[in-house]
This record gives sequence, structure tokens and C-alpha cells, in this order.
Amino acid sequence: MLDVKNIHVSYGDAQALWDVSLAVSRDEIITLVGSNGSGKSTTLKAISGLVPLSSGEIRFEKTRIDRLHAYRIVEMGIAHVPEGRRLWPGLSVRENLELGAYIRTARNVKKETMEWVFKLFPRLEERISQLAGTLSGGEQQMLAIGRGLLSKPKLLILDEPSLGLAPLLVDEVLETIQKINRQGVTILLIEQNVTRALSLSTRCYVLELGRIVLSGTGQDLLADERVKAAYLGL
Amino acid sequence: MSRSWKLWVGGPVLAFLVLIPFLELQGGYLQTLGFLTFLYITMSTAWNILGGYAGQTSFGHATFYGLGAYTTCILTLRGIPALLTIPVAGMIASLYGLLWGYPCLRLRGQYFAIATIGVGEATRLLMLNLDDLIKNNSLLKGFLQKGVLTGGATGLMLPTPPDIQAYATAFYYGVMGLMFFALFVSWRVKNGKFGLGLFAINMDMDAAETVGVNTTRYKILALMLSAFLVGISGSIYAQYVFYIDPQTVFGFPMSIAMVLMPIIGGIGTLIGPVLGAVFYIVVQDRILTANLNLGLIKLSLSSLHLLVYGGLLVLIILFEPKGLLGVHHRFNIWWNKRKRRSLAATEKA
Repeated sequence: MLDVKNIHVSYGDAQALWDVSLAVSRDEIITLVGSNGSGKSTTLKAISGLVPLSSGEIRFEKTRIDRLHAYRIVEMGIAHVPEGRRLWPGLSVRENLELGAYIRTARNVKKETMEWVFKLFPRLEERISQLAGTLSGGEQQMLAIGRGLLSKPKLLILDEPSLGLAPLLVDEVLETIQKINRQGVTILLIEQNVTRALSLSTRCYVLELGRIVLSGTGQDLLADERVKAAYLGL
Repeated sequence: MSRSWKLWVGGPVLAFLVLIPFLELQGGYLQTLGFLTFLYITMSTAWNILGGYAGQTSFGHATFYGLGAYTTCILTLRGIPALLTIPVAGMIASLYGLLWGYPCLRLRGQYFAIATIGVGEATRLLMLNLDDLIKNNSLLKGFLQKGVLTGGATGLMLPTPPDIQAYATAFYYGVMGLMFFALFVSWRVKNGKFGLGLFAINMDMDAAETVGVNTTRYKILALMLSAFLVGISGSIYAQYVFYIDPQTVFGFPMSIAMVLMPIIGGIGTLIGPVLGAVFYIVVQDRILTANLNLGLIKLSLSSLHLLVYGGLLVLIILFEPKGLLGVHHRFNIWWNKRKRRSLAATEKA
């Protein structure tokens, strides 16, 4: 479904990604794992057109998307839930969700999608006319995911959805992500909690200093000595 | 309650504004003041679409005002009916917005604002020297009529109509209509999909991109719409005063006025720019004509209005970023609290 081939990305003189390749098939949950500054976020931003590539190519359902504007990529069916949620704090929950359904195809089915999102996150419906800035951290994350879903994506990209949440909420959010996946949305996410990430996903990629150093199924990586040493402290 | 209150105040005010030309108060002084107020409300509202809704602060809007004015004068002097030049003026201003908006709107925040200052000054200087430039070019010479296109620093003059009273009254109502049109456009934008996209850009541009808002196109469209309305305003101004020169219509103070009015009134709102424009015109009018008599020295306060705006801007940004509307809101809260307290006191007694 998504094919990232040998991409290089630089911010000015600083190169952030070196020859990164990864593939996502339909209905998978893929996680990117790696320490701070290893290029996880940059990889996701490159996919959704927020940073330009210096070389390489990205294909989504066989179409090249690496030269497209961010809004065109959303129209093709990739939704990006950015790091730190990036909601509009001065707008209500409803308005934030409506902006999620900004593209034409999503706009036509907005009502149904919204009902689906409320079924996933009943809390959002309770707070529908509240300003997004007044929600708790967990609710804001739910809203950010809900906003992403309103564009009716085939692929949902989540940049650290568990960032800054209480452990109990992390479980809740990750479970919901699995639920969304079972309902037919392919997921690509970054997760700092390696144990959880590995058990949740179909496959993982491990990034280090802008390069992919390992990949495989969750079970494979959990058994891998290097992963144990570097990320699990075992 | 508040709705009927609005009707009770709004109705008579509107009726008064409509009747002003017939009352002939103070020798037409009020009518001229009304004309200017409507014109500035239109521009303030237009600027607010880009600067308030989309959050792109432009210090270059005088370019649209000036282009609108010059388009009308140049075309009218070549025999085209003045009324027909109004939409042309708007469109030329709009296209000029596209021309400089495309590169400038790639800049963010204060960098965009700085770029627009440059655009404004460059345009003014170009209009000042355009005739000389054309004179020295054999291909373009044909555009000059009696050696004049923009008239350089002297500017251009339009012929005065025979019945100036009726003419001025027609323009009074015309610009009143234009103001309502601008407010209608602003209201439609604010409550529509386009406005939602602009608000998203204003609050977080990266987030707007991730939900699929074509940010570049939206910002340019907002600029063009804004420019169109300001261009028409410039055209109408030129027809009303019969004389324009680069300093007046392209000058930096004009751009500043368009920034100040919405900020004073309440940026990003529908009514704020209206309040700001009324305030601006009244202050300008009062101070421009005031004289301070200190016995031996007579001080004209005509340049003092800039000082007033400067001070006001500092105060607004420091204490009430929502402008006059914010003050009104605070007053409401304070008033309701007082009312509740006195109600509680009477219940106790």
C-alpha cells in the first residue's frame, strides 16, 4: 500500500534521513521505534509531504506522492496526526473535527464519520461544544486522532499518540488504535514504549541516527539481543 | 433582550445615516465624514479578511488602494465611463495581489509583514517615476497621453461634474452599499468553509496542512479578495475627490491605517473592524482640526493623531489584544456581576 524507497531528507546542511526504505501493506499496524533524533518524525513528515525529499521516492497505492503538496496527499487517503496533537485550541471540538473533514470526499460523509468517531471516543461527543484548549491531555489526543479519522483515511499516521499521557490512558489510546485498525484503517505509528509497540504491531522498524537498522515482526524483535540491550534494558 | 436592544439602537442609527444627505447638517460636513467612514469601514473589513481571519499582517494594502484609484483615473481620462472602471479597478488590484502575494505569502509571520512594507514602498516609488521610465522607452511611449500616464508626483486630476451636490450624495449612498457588501462578504467568509480554513491557517498552519487545507492557495485567495474590495474603495475615493497623487493613495500611512483600524476595533471579528474604522475617522477628524492655544504659541495638532494611534496600539497590544470589542466584553462581565450582586442584596433585604 505504501512504499518508501531509499529516501534521503535534509534540513539545510543537516541530513536527517539516510536511505530509509519501508513498506506498509493493507491492514497492518507498523510501528517506528528509535531514540530521540533518530528520524522517526521526519520519516512520517516526509510521507505526508510536510518535508521535501532530497532523493528517493514514495509511492502510495502505486502512485508517486513524494512531489505532491500536503493537502493532495490527504486527499489521496493519508491522514497525519502530528506530534504534540496540534489542535486549534481556540476552536470547539466540533470545529476541530469539521476541519478534519476539510477535503471534498470526506465532507460528503462527514455525518457518518463523526458518528463513528463518537462511537470510538464517546468522551468527544460529551464535550462537543467545548474549546479544544480546555480538554485534558487524553481527550486532546482522542480529538487529534478523531480529527485525523474525519478525512476518511486509508492510512492513518500517528506521531507518538501516547506522548505525555498517564499510563492508563496510554493503554486506552493504544487499544482504540487497534480497534480502528480492525475496522479497516491501516496504521503507521511512532511509539516510545517499545514493549507495547512491539506487542501491538504486525511489524516494526528500528531507526538509529536516521537509518533503519532493524526490522521484523514484534516477536522477532522482542527476541533480538540488540533490541533488548538498547531499548528494553535487559 | 439583547436582540431587541440591538434593533432599538441599530434602527434609528441606520435611519439617521440614510437621511444625512437630506438634513444638510453643518453644510455637508457630516455627509463627507459619513462617506469617509463608510469607505474606511470597507477597507478595514477587507484587510481583516487577510489580516484578521487568516492572520497574515499586510503593511502593503495601500498598493491596492492606489492601484484602484489610478486605474479609474487613467481609464476615465481616456474616455471610459467612470462607473465601468470600478470593477476593473478591483480586478487589477486583485491581480496585483496575486503577483506579489504568490512569492510573499511563502514567508511566515513577521517576515511576511516585513516583505509587504517593501512591496508597498516599491510600488509607490514605481508610480512616482513611471512616466519618466516610459518616456525613455520607445515601445511603451504610445501609452502616454500628452506625455502623461500616472502624472508623477503631481498626480492626476479628474474633471468635476456640473451638479456636485447630487454627485456627492450619489456617492454617499454608493459607498454605503459597498460597505454593506464588504460586511456581507466578510460575514459569509467567516461562517463558511473558506473562513474555517483561514482560521486554521491563522492558529496553526502546519496542522492546517495535515488536515488537507491548501494553505498557499487559501492565503492567496484571501489576499485577492481583500485586494479587490480595497481596489474598489480606491476607485471610489478617486472619483469622489477628483484628484490623486502617489503620496496620498500609495503612501505608507494609508497602509498603516488599514492595519490599525481592525486592531483597534477587534481583530478577526466581524464588527471589530467597523468599530475601529469609526474610531479612527472620528479621532483623525477631531485632532486634525484642533488647535492648542498656549497664549503666545499656537500649536496645530494635525500631526498628533499619529501619536494617538501609536500610543493606542501599544496599550491595546499590552492590555486588550481583542481591541474595543474586548473592552466591551469586559464591561459586560463587570456589569452583569454588579447586577447580580445588587439583586442578591435586595433579596436579602
